[in-house]
Amino acid sequence: MAMSKRKRAQVIRWVQYAILVAVVLVVAFTANWGKIRTTFFDLEVARNMFPEVITVALVNTVIYTTLGFGFGLALALVIALMRLSTVRVYRWISGIYIEFFRGLPALMVILAVGTGIPLAFNTFLDKYVALMIALGIVGAAYMAETLRAGIQAVPKGQVEAARSLGMSPARTMMTIVIPQAFKIILPPLTNELILLTKDSSLALFLGASVSEYELTQFGRVELNESRSLTPVLVAGICYLIITIPLSYLSRYLERRTGGKKISTPESTEVKA
Amino acid sequence: MTRRPTLKVWALVPALAIVLAGCGEDGGSSGDGGDAGSGGPELVNEGKLTNCTGLPYKPFEYEENGEVIGFDIDLVDLIAKELGVEQEVVDTPFDGIQSGADFNSGKCDISSAGMTITDERKQNIDFSDPYFDATQALVTKKGSGISDITDLDGKNLGVQNSTTGFDYANENAKGANIVNFEDLGLLLTAVESGQVDAGINDNGVLFDWVKDKTDFEVVKEFETGEQYGMGVRKGNTALLDVVNKVLADAKSSGEYDTIYEKWFGTKPADN
Repeated sequence: MAMSKRKRAQVIRWVQYAILVAVVLVVAFTANWGKIRTTFFDLEVARNMFPEVITVALVNTVIYTTLGFGFGLALALVIALMRLSTVRVYRWISGIYIEFFRGLPALMVILAVGTGIPLAFNTFLDKYVALMIALGIVGAAYMAETLRAGIQAVPKGQVEAARSLGMSPARTMMTIVIPQAFKIILPPLTNELILLTKDSSLALFLGASVSEYELTQFGRVELNESRSLTPVLVAGICYLIITIPLSYLSRYLERRTGGKKISTPESTEVKA
Repeated sequence: MTRRPTLKVWALVPALAIVLAGCGEDGGSSGDGGDAGSGGPELVNEGKLTNCTGLPYKPFEYEENGEVIGFDIDLVDLIAKELGVEQEVVDTPFDGIQSGADFNSGKCDISSAGMTITDERKQNIDFSDPYFDATQALVTKKGSGISDITDLDGKNLGVQNSTTGFDYANENAKGANIVNFEDLGLLLTAVESGQVDAGINDNGVLFDWVKDKTDFEVVKEFETGEQYGMGVRKGNTALLDVVNKVLADAKSSGEYDTIYEKWFGTKPADN
């Protein structure tokens, strides 16, 4: 087969188009469209979900996520500073924390906090508090590494300048380094917020009263009352209402910070 | 010149599509179920009677030493034996079972999940003849001062999602704060840890639970006249006929009573 390079590239491209068309045709011909329409796009079922799906479920998802993110960020800052500490034991503790909670499924942490703490300490734990702690613990493990990378990405000259002006090391960290680190890590932090938004769906395993339903549980309860999967679709769209703008925000921030590359948890090896 | 190979490739597209569509249809029909023997009901997995149930629901179905056992499981074993196949248990959330989604998506053939026959569920799935009489019951910590559903005003009452207890609580415990749990295990853990003041569920499972948890007691039963039935995909009469025949045979032969006594410690009241 004597084909010029260009011709070959062209043929390969057309083969790719052909595969795409074939897949689309197969799906179009084999899918039961009538059934898909009634199971996923039942307008009456969807209408019945409003306005609670927004006023209760979406709002609760946002509340759980925000609480978890806030608590997680504070915890992450402490752990990141411990990670950079000159006290060796602090470095060990923070290293173990990060490895431990990055390695566990979020669901296990939520169950451990939501049912373990009340059993162990014989107390009543408010659902909002339980989720704040559980989602915070999960988020902190990732955010701590991001924060550490951000702190280390602040140019050394900034620290030296602050120190030469007579600032104490602690004040340098708080007023010079950390604010700049946050600016650098805003895009990865936004991504973490997206991940936590999705993890908040696991709240359903802790049980909830009607006013505490978040999107996933709300969708599942509606699913029982209707015969269609439409509630799942509606709940899914509500997640996208939260996550897609966030991911655009993340990309916008990334562009604004000039695409400065910093190492994220995924790309950083934790040195014990 | 340059357009020629393009056109040739396009010519192949319909052929490819037909071939692939053919594959797709073949895959679809074998997914719907191979024949289980001569003229028997079609099963989603050849050689297996796939049973969708929600674990744990002791003593109806629960896991012990890596095996799923229980009253329901023994009964379905009888049906599997009649069909000459093995039972395979799939643990799945209850809402997928009662909404018919698990049957319609070809996940399983039958569901024995301590499931009460209700008109609402009948719209989504077909039920066998009733095989167990149940009532709703209220479980709480000893000395909690709760003796009836009316004592729960302003307190937390745990229920299990999609169950008849959930409906009963919503209708009769208007003053209570109803907390909805995913399965029985999570509900009972919440009762134990004090996250809810009381829990409502079927009497069979709650009486079984308080046998181990001696700090807790069943304080009240509500005669709801409920009966459990096994579920199958709507319109699957071939399988339903077998199920009903096996249940009737087991009752007349005394096999049902033996299984009942094995799991509940007593003989059934009437049959």
